[in-house]
Amino acid sequence: MSNGRLTRRQFLKGTALVAGTTILPTGLVRAQRRPTTWHGRERVTEIPSTCEMCFWRCGIIGEVKDGRLVKIKGNPLHPNNRGKICARGNAGLKTLYDPDRLKYPLMRVGKRGEAKWRRVSWNEALDYMVDKLKDIKSKYGPEAIAMFPHGVSSRLLKSVFASWGVVNFAVASFNHCKGPRDVAFKLTFGTSPGSPERLDLPNASMIVLIGSHLGENIHTGQVREFAEAIGRGAKIVVVDPRFSTAASKAHWWLPIRPGSDTALILAWINVLIEKDLYDKEFVNRYTYGFEELKKAIKPFTPEWAEKVTDIPASTIREIAVEMGIRKPSVLVHPGRHTVWYGNDVQRSRAIAILVALLGSWGKPGGYFLPTPLKKSKCPCPKQEKPSKDVCEASGKHIYPFHEEGVPSQCVVDATLTGKPYPIKAWITYGTNIIQSIPQPERTIKAIEKLDLLVAIDILPTDPSLYADVILPEATYLERYDLPFVVSNWTDPYVAIRQPVVKPLFQSKGPFWIAKEVSKRLGLKNCLPCNSEEEMIDKILEPLNISLGDLTNKGVMSFPGRPYDTSNLRFRTPTGKIELYSTKLAAKGFSPIPVFEPVDEPPKGYFRLIYGRSPVHSFTRTVNNEWLDEIYPENRVWLNEKAAEKMGIKDGDEVYLVNQDGVKEGPVKVFVTPGIRDDCVFIVHGFGQKNPMMRRAYNKGISDSFLMTKIKPDPITGTTGMRVNFVKIEKNGKLLEYTPEGYEERLKEMKAAHVTPTIKIQKPANVQPEQPQPQEEEEEEGC
Amino acid sequence: MTKYAMVINVEKCVGCHACELACKAEWGVAENEHRTWVKPTYPQSLGGKGLFDLVAAFYVGQCNHCDHPTCVEACPTGATFKREDGIVVVDYDLCIGCGYCVEACPYGARYVHPTLKKVDKCDFCAPRLEKGLEPACVETCITGAKVFGDLEDPTSEVYKLVYEEGARGITSEEVNIGPNVYYIGDEKKVDLIINKFPPRKPKLPTPASIWEKLLKPLLGLGVVASFLGASVAYFIQLFKGEDKFE
Repeated sequence: MSNGRLTRRQFLKGTALVAGTTILPTGLVRAQRRPTTWHGRERVTEIPSTCEMCFWRCGIIGEVKDGRLVKIKGNPLHPNNRGKICARGNAGLKTLYDPDRLKYPLMRVGKRGEAKWRRVSWNEALDYMVDKLKDIKSKYGPEAIAMFPHGVSSRLLKSVFASWGVVNFAVASFNHCKGPRDVAFKLTFGTSPGSPERLDLPNASMIVLIGSHLGENIHTGQVREFAEAIGRGAKIVVVDPRFSTAASKAHWWLPIRPGSDTALILAWINVLIEKDLYDKEFVNRYTYGFEELKKAIKPFTPEWAEKVTDIPASTIREIAVEMGIRKPSVLVHPGRHTVWYGNDVQRSRAIAILVALLGSWGKPGGYFLPTPLKKSKCPCPKQEKPSKDVCEASGKHIYPFHEEGVPSQCVVDATLTGKPYPIKAWITYGTNIIQSIPQPERTIKAIEKLDLLVAIDILPTDPSLYADVILPEATYLERYDLPFVVSNWTDPYVAIRQPVVKPLFQSKGPFWIAKEVSKRLGLKNCLPCNSEEEMIDKILEPLNISLGDLTNKGVMSFPGRPYDTSNLRFRTPTGKIELYSTKLAAKGFSPIPVFEPVDEPPKGYFRLIYGRSPVHSFTRTVNNEWLDEIYPENRVWLNEKAAEKMGIKDGDEVYLVNQDGVKEGPVKVFVTPGIRDDCVFIVHGFGQKNPMMRRAYNKGISDSFLMTKIKPDPITGTTGMRVNFVKIEKNGKLLEYTPEGYEERLKEMKAAHVTPTIKIQKPANVQPEQPQPQEEEEEEGC
Repeated sequence: MTKYAMVINVEKCVGCHACELACKAEWGVAENEHRTWVKPTYPQSLGGKGLFDLVAAFYVGQCNHCDHPTCVEACPTGATFKREDGIVVVDYDLCIGCGYCVEACPYGARYVHPTLKKVDKCDFCAPRLEKGLEPACVETCITGAKVFGDLEDPTSEVYKLVYEEGARGITSEEVNIGPNVYYIGDEKKVDLIINKFPPRKPKLPTPASIWEKLLKPLLGLGVVASFLGASVAYFIQLFKGEDKFE
């Protein structure tokens, strides 16, 4: 424009220059122009951030028009999802603009569960909460407070409470999701498979999924790579009692008898060793205890496994041979939700051993190695003398390999019984404890005994129904979070979450909430940063980057060394991959996995198994308009033979009644040949009990409410959930079905039981008690 | 010349519905309606015995931008037309929302937008193509199952998939109007999709010209039949008191 008038752009440039000289230099960086793109026929601003419709943390770009988010798309610069996002990611704006969102702090006026509230100010809500907490702490000590954190945003408040002396943190992602496999891999390799898992799917020539239903479980980067492998013709093996989406892509689908996975894996190990198909060089160089393994594995032949698993011995052998030929680019997936039967660490250990025998650790097409990125902290000082957590104090159920806080059932038990000490306050942060912890009726009873329940969330999920104080958190699209420094990727990366739009209503970000609480608790040195921007800068400092470098791109990746084995070390007591686990031996557990048969369904019952839908992340997304449109309610998968015998047709409405008489329904039946006839399957996350979730309320049924039984793993205390059985009730009549040959199979199972031949003893040349440097665990999502 | 086409790799598609929602966000598709959609075939037995003999796939549907589009024939105002690059579009200024084209589409790819009162459907994201962007569904497809490109360009991936690797459109013996959305993968899976979601017979509206066209193949006997059919229909319409019949 040359007509002498100052254009808007010139004006902005001028003011930015002036501002730049007076304000901090980062201010200038942040004032830089945002990139734009086209939405439909309109030009819109692009703001990159990180998704939280699940916990995979894909890079996203929000398209914003006049301060309103109009679309979310994938960030093509993000090395994990590479510009792709799933249905949930695309539907994120419907969570942001969900009319049922928690809008203001609320305090309960009615009875618990009555859903009567009073709108209050943040000040009133926080003052009330902190006064109450102080009161409880002075009466009962800090151990009377328990927190259920979930997701990256909960980390800040968690660190505030930890600094204040709180010790009982029940972490869902460990207890109800990936605890067993993380511990098993640490026992074997000295490190967990990571999250995202360090799987080199694109280079794998064979992929083995054991109970993992990738494709229905959408972790975008992983599914993208899985599809890439399929496209290249990688051999796929899927072990699942149900014909999952992954199974429909597989060369071998093994409809295994639920609970017998360990037997199958042991038989594979048996064949690899017996036929000399394992990676000898790798095993000799890096592993410990091969001879013990070789001896112990002898009885677990494919013929033995056939009787237990219902998978033909010839198939077991064929696949083992295929693995042996294709090694090391054979990827045996470690799974993620691995809390199945309460013997899960040993099953995951068997997987880890299989991985070691195939020599695929640190190899292309196997498990790649992390490229650590340095970062710093904006920490709260640690409590010097923490009290004993609820498990430690109770003495009777100590789980020696429990990590990341305490098992949730310990918190519930203590709250109910007052033993080993009373627990009087719970804080839930971004987690639906009613639906994510089995035995919800006990959870609810425990809540009734509390003096204080605080629910921090974005939506009124079930816990808020019972809460005394409800605090509305800003959604992932409205807030900053701790930056994601990810070493578990072939090209490691740093990504940020930043507000795409301003927080709606009175919702607040996690830094503000944590800071306000810490102020009220009188913690002066907690979170020594003045703002979340400063906090992010500080954390990224060791990498020589700042928030300003990331605001326009959202992510920065670094060259990785995924296959660099020159420095390969294992943080185990022996410094080797422990096929024989010295740590397990020292604590009196079987150092080499053995098969422990699980309880079979009682006559007339089906085993209840559950999983995910590609368009939902547990209960978090069921109220989302678009996702509800696609998958509004779960259905019960029932084998067609069983259905015919019971007189049930596809689409019939039935109830499920579990072994303890708990009934859920009505729910529609999906009659299919794609599931075994000894189990039924439903998608987890449905059957919301809070009427404030108006869209999702009472749609479908809750698997959690049918889980009146759990089986904690003795090694980790993680919650085995697939130990519940159901009958089907139609038209008020309880129907029964018993698979053919049920009795014989029970007998066979008993006969197949092998008493472990390994003597549990400490090897003389190692000192298992020596503390090992622990990796920092930061993943709080399933 | 350009001829746009889409190929869906059924081996890669995991039925995640991302395409459906990216499209929804991009174009403000109405509630419970779709420009593109995903439907599972669900596990089907191949007739063998036991659990091992199953097949399943996902059907990703959208406007097929057919070579001989029945929707264009059905449109009374000329709002729906086929562009030179093969994309079938709806001109909102001309569309009267009569819905004839909705009935005429063998793939159920069109709907009348409840608030706009215009017909909406996939246009391969033509406005995005003009800006050099991919269709929104392709951009988001997490597995890379959706491949978009120019069938006239021998170097394009769609050319390779359609002319060299045998990707197939959804057609039947009765209905084949030259669809330009193709499916590739295990033949059993493509067959399953085609059999489970076959094209329906296009229902064309009743103007005399279209009647004539429909009945041409029958000729001879057809002339009589057409007269009879038309008059019966006419009297029915008359009896119902409707005046749409011309």
